[in-house]
Amino acid sequence: MKKGYPRFFLLPGLILLIAIIIFPLLFTIRVTFSSWNVSQSGLNFIGGENWSEMARDVRYWGSLLRLFYLSFLTVAIQYVLGFAIALFAWKGIAARRFFRVLWLIPMMTTPSLMAIIWRSIFTEDIGALNGLLNRVGLDPVNWLTESGPANFAITIAEVWQWTPFMFLILLAGLLSLPKEPFMAAAIDGASAWKTFARVTFPMMAPISIGAIMIRLIDASKIFDSVFTLTRGGPGNATETPAAYIFQRSLQDFQIAYGSTLALTYLILAILTLTIIGKVFARLSKPKGI
Amino acid sequence: MYKVLKATFITIWSLFVLFPIMWAITTSFKPEAAVVNGATFIPWLEFQPVLTGWKAILPGPDSLTNLLTPTLNSFIVTAGATAISVAFGSLAAYGLSRFTYGWKKYSNADIIFFFVSQRIMPPVVLAIPFFLVLKQLRLLDTHLGLILVLTSGLMPIVVWLMVDFFNALPREIDEMAMLEGCNPIQAFFRTILPLSKPGLTVAGMFCVIFGWNDIFFALTLTATKVLTLPVAVIALNGTVTPYWILAASTVFSIIPLVGLAFVIERFLSRGSLGGAVR
Amino acid sequence: MFTKKVKSLLAVGLPVVLAASVVVIAPASAGGKVTRTQGQEVSYASYGAEYANVATTKDGDDSCSWYNTSKKDYSGKTLRVLTHAIPNMGKPTALHAKQFEDLTGAKVEVEHVSFGDLYAKQLRSYQTDTNQYDVVFNGSYQIGDFQQYYAKVPDSITKGNGSLATLTPLYKALYKWDGDTKLVGIDGDRHFLKYRTDVYENAEAKAFYKKKTGKDLAFPKTWKEYNLHAKTFNGYKPAGQPAGVKFTGTTEITQKGGLMFGAFIDRVAPYAKNPNVKGGFWFDENMVPQVNNPGFVAGLTDFVDATKYMPVGGKNFDLSKEIESFGRGDSLLSYTWDDAWSKSNEPTSPIKNKVKAAPLPGAEKVWNRVTKKWDTPKGGINYAPYIAWGWSSAVTAASPQKQMAFDYLCFWGNQANHKLDLTIGDMGVNPARTEDFKSDFWVKEMNWGKPAVDSWLATMQNYEKNTNRVFDLRVPGVSDYMTALENAVAKALAGQATPQKALDEAAKEWNAITKRVGITKVKSAYQNVIALEDNIK
Repeated sequence: MKKGYPRFFLLPGLILLIAIIIFPLLFTIRVTFSSWNVSQSGLNFIGGENWSEMARDVRYWGSLLRLFYLSFLTVAIQYVLGFAIALFAWKGIAARRFFRVLWLIPMMTTPSLMAIIWRSIFTEDIGALNGLLNRVGLDPVNWLTESGPANFAITIAEVWQWTPFMFLILLAGLLSLPKEPFMAAAIDGASAWKTFARVTFPMMAPISIGAIMIRLIDASKIFDSVFTLTRGGPGNATETPAAYIFQRSLQDFQIAYGSTLALTYLILAILTLTIIGKVFARLSKPKGI
Repeated sequence: MYKVLKATFITIWSLFVLFPIMWAITTSFKPEAAVVNGATFIPWLEFQPVLTGWKAILPGPDSLTNLLTPTLNSFIVTAGATAISVAFGSLAAYGLSRFTYGWKKYSNADIIFFFVSQRIMPPVVLAIPFFLVLKQLRLLDTHLGLILVLTSGLMPIVVWLMVDFFNALPREIDEMAMLEGCNPIQAFFRTILPLSKPGLTVAGMFCVIFGWNDIFFALTLTATKVLTLPVAVIALNGTVTPYWILAASTVFSIIPLVGLAFVIERFLSRGSLGGAVR
Repeated sequence: MFTKKVKSLLAVGLPVVLAASVVVIAPASAGGKVTRTQGQEVSYASYGAEYANVATTKDGDDSCSWYNTSKKDYSGKTLRVLTHAIPNMGKPTALHAKQFEDLTGAKVEVEHVSFGDLYAKQLRSYQTDTNQYDVVFNGSYQIGDFQQYYAKVPDSITKGNGSLATLTPLYKALYKWDGDTKLVGIDGDRHFLKYRTDVYENAEAKAFYKKKTGKDLAFPKTWKEYNLHAKTFNGYKPAGQPAGVKFTGTTEITQKGGLMFGAFIDRVAPYAKNPNVKGGFWFDENMVPQVNNPGFVAGLTDFVDATKYMPVGGKNFDLSKEIESFGRGDSLLSYTWDDAWSKSNEPTSPIKNKVKAAPLPGAEKVWNRVTKKWDTPKGGINYAPYIAWGWSSAVTAASPQKQMAFDYLCFWGNQANHKLDLTIGDMGVNPARTEDFKSDFWVKEMNWGKPAVDSWLATMQNYEKNTNRVFDLRVPGVSDYMTALENAVAKALAGQATPQKALDEAAKEWNAITKRVGITKVKSAYQNVIALEDNIK
């Protein structure tokens, strides 16, 4: 093949992307060595002060630990539920075209606006949930002012919003599976469960990994639901890095320090995702078809 | 037994999906008193439906805001960013699927990861640098400026989806075309592209959804001229939260995208979507 | 195949059609200038159905009256305004922009954003020399962050015949920086106590209180009393309680990021603001933060205690929820801004004529940071009301249209507009001018109850005279300081740390902020706050 053709395909996109992000990225790196804040703008040089401050920032590291729980848990739930409803919508239920549309709808809603709706559902005095509990004679639950229920509320909002993403990708994957392995399984007389465990699930592994990875990336930026529902409270019980970085960068206008936190987050996220990617690759290979 | 379980599960899940939407729709027809004095659910029985919330966001004498111009802006920005992302992203994805690029020890997989990694950064820290870039280019508060910035978040999705899609298309197709005398570019446009419509559609739909729903960049990089729909809605959230108006605008802003759900379902039913993710 | 095409066409085409119709429907902005005569009646009625029932008033004779503004010609010029979301400030800004356009031929572009974005957007514009705005709105406590970017307000507005000439001395001082007026004070705010008279002036409730505590019931003079009343009447059923609403002790702002620092300051001020100690409430002379001194800890301890007597969800209330909750009759007591007060006076309010105002409670002891001892205040109670920030506006120093910008703001708050805006509750315009403090206006034109109005006006007069007042920390980085404080308070309220430990953390954080912003900068800015605290003219 002639040289030059491969470049024609890759380079326009790559160059455009790099052109858009190169300055912001370099700027972000540079600004972490400055003291850009509310009363000092511009790129002075203060050495590694922001970095050493970050090392001591208990609130930041706490939020990162919390993120592990929140992102892995919500993505895991989304995956399991998304897979389940994808299987139902794949075959074997009546009116599946109706359900497919219905189950896609949450993804179409704007997360920042839905978060407000969720707040009106979970808010403790006039919210829908406590209203329902009241009707059936139960005591109101402190959905947003107790650590456990607050984390639950955020998980619910995230699962609602993003399970359809998993659902769509997994359903599309299921629909494109070749028919032969299933016929072979049927001839062997395998049960539904065995067919799923031995045929469907392994064949869906590559798609599953892709979907989980991209969801993990987005779920790690979890912000709208946290900010709108609890503002990270009660205390710091639901504060995620994205919410904390938002507060530092935008509310306190600590551009330099916020960038330090974000850059660290970026590096840690890339490392974590690379490791997860490797683990997934190893897990899925021997079982592959 | 299994059937009962399945039916229960489907019912519960559907109710769960519907509940916030129904809540938003009913809230949008509530008068203030039916919101701030405790939860109400059943129209006519527990509250008298009124159009206060809707009148506030639609043109008319009681209009608080004009959501139609922002809708147009959202549409332009989303369409622009989607078009650029799909065009450039699918070219790159095809390249990554068919050729081996190498630079030192970095392989195709690393390049793909590089694309995808653009989604990792929390957008909030990019506010100032993007602001500076657009200011320098005189693109603040313009459609083009916002489109370019959104593209950086959307193209990764296209690349990620389309690499898998092109991998699933047999190589014999392009090889056949090249045997007939096409160069790789001609082969791509004449044979691969027509086969890729479902994939491109799904990738484009993800772009539309994520682009339409962006709020942070729109808020940061625009002012009055390119006000997008989510930003206009959030601006209704004053000191006292008018849930009835916000609910109406939320419902309003998802209507165009719910249309998309039908389109996606169409593709699913024809079975032509499958290749998009394989 | 055909239906599919139709459907996708619809999905894509519908928004286009919708959007295109906007272009057609959108009314062309009025071309010609409106002419006015001197003293001509001012009416908002032509500016939308929502103003149909607003009263009319005679045009004022101030320099920015409708008549005087109509003599100006700004045809072909554009003013860029950044303001708050609708309705609070956003509504009057948009309304007066349309009126200004009609009178002068100018074009006024108004951008509405949330309170947090109001801060970030203008700071970003200044720090990058982008010069995006001519007129901006802000919270007056941010003056330390912004004053260097603002133009000095000309005497023609603040003196003589100008629309701000009648601001009370307290508010005039509030909008100054280093002697120059930097903010256009279109609003006046303060925090005060609101209490339910169907308890405090009810014989049965008084007897109930006497039986429970052995004391006579009167509105709380100290925060200790406040908490005791909240505790005693938590779950009580007052005579005038709206049906179906559970009665609790107190409604307060408790959500970090929801302006909770204001509530916190109210509660700590009388414990920590010692009238005999000059030279700094927030910091001492060496810029050592005082936020963890025993006075602050005592106030926070009360705050934590009060969470037991709050309505359901009360531990996560922002200002908006406070207004809503107290406004529907949730509780006996509340404090902070005027909004909940206005709400309770609205014609549709379930607690109309059942609420009175009083100065913020005091404390029976006050910390002396010099002697490191508790002092017993003269008269037994130390009062230290927090003169909380309110809305203000400014013209940017970089604006190429300063004259027009000031004319707009001056018109915004001219006598006639100010009077009408006061009557529209959700606009967020509160009394701050000498003529606003006449009970006639509120009783006759607003139809508020006279006892309530009198208690409210007396409270404001009290604040004008009080010389032991607390003001916002108006230094660069104030948001930083306040979020650090709120984060600590939130931890204490959630039981994740003791008040002392939480505030120790806040003090540590404050030192870091001072270091980051620059101790000399903060110290020199803080002199402006000390001048207010110590009544230095």
